[in-house]
Amino acid sequence: MRKLLQLIFGDPRNVAAVALALLAAYGLARIAPAASGALLVLVLLAAAALQAF
Amino acid sequence: MSAAQWGGAGAIFLASAVEWVEAFTIVLAVALTIGWRRATGAAAAALALIGVLIAVTGAGLEAAQADIDRIRAAIGVFLLLFGLRWYVKAIRRSAGRTALHDEAQEFAETREHLEQSESRAAWVIAFKGVLLEGLEVWLLVVALGHTLSYAAAAGSALASLVAVIGVGLALQAPLTRVPENTLKFLVSCAILSFGSFWGVGGIVGERAAWPLGDLTLLLLFGTYAVAGRLIAWAARAPRSGGAIGARA
Repeated sequence: MRKLLQLIFGDPRNVAAVALALLAAYGLARIAPAASGALLVLVLLAAAALQAF
Repeated sequence: MSAAQWGGAGAIFLASAVEWVEAFTIVLAVALTIGWRRATGAAAAALALIGVLIAVTGAGLEAAQADIDRIRAAIGVFLLLFGLRWYVKAIRRSAGRTALHDEAQEFAETREHLEQSESRAAWVIAFKGVLLEGLEVWLLVVALGHTLSYAAAAGSALASLVAVIGVGLALQAPLTRVPENTLKFLVSCAILSFGSFWGVGGIVGERAAWPLGDLTLLLLFGTYAVAGRLIAWAARAPRSGGAIGARA
């Protein structure tokens, strides 16, 4: 079960990065929906860069 | 099939290939210890369980009467979680910060472990090995199959399995030449693209979030691929620094 949860969610940093990206996209969508996707991508790339080092 | 469906089927094929190659290494090591008949029996039992999981969860999602946007959003979030994990792992391996997955080493370690095991324990090792690798295939087939097509998703995973078994049996050796990290990186870019598209599209509305429609998937893939290479280049480890080991 632990392995399955790890397969789905990854580590806490992974979950936090995706949650932050989605929250940021959702927040921006209220003002500029067309830019929300781009913000999600940027936050995810920043999270990937932080974890890569 | 649409371009998006072909993209999804291709991603499942490549992702499954990476998992099946790792599973084949374990089964091969077990087969050389307890014989092909018992080792393939263990692998077949694990694959049957994966097949049942795909059928049950797939049917369950089909039967769910939830709003399609909500289902897409949930699947998108799952794909983002799954894809980001693979993306970071592939970048770190590419940058030399995590050791590359070595099938020859995995094979040698499994053989060494098996020498101290009984026949029954060896069967369990083959079963668990195939099951654990297959679970990731199950998750992807169910996630992408719901929006694309279960037949295409399951067919891609099956075609990948047949290809790996065919090449593996012809070589009778661990498939060390498969560029696992490159495949994993490309697949993670595709999974993140679908995850971003459906995750935000499901929450905000697909047309509002992605005015370019399906073409966005290609742009997302290109963005993740180029950015990933740049991050790997920037994060490359100094030559003196040793990479830390990692499995799968």
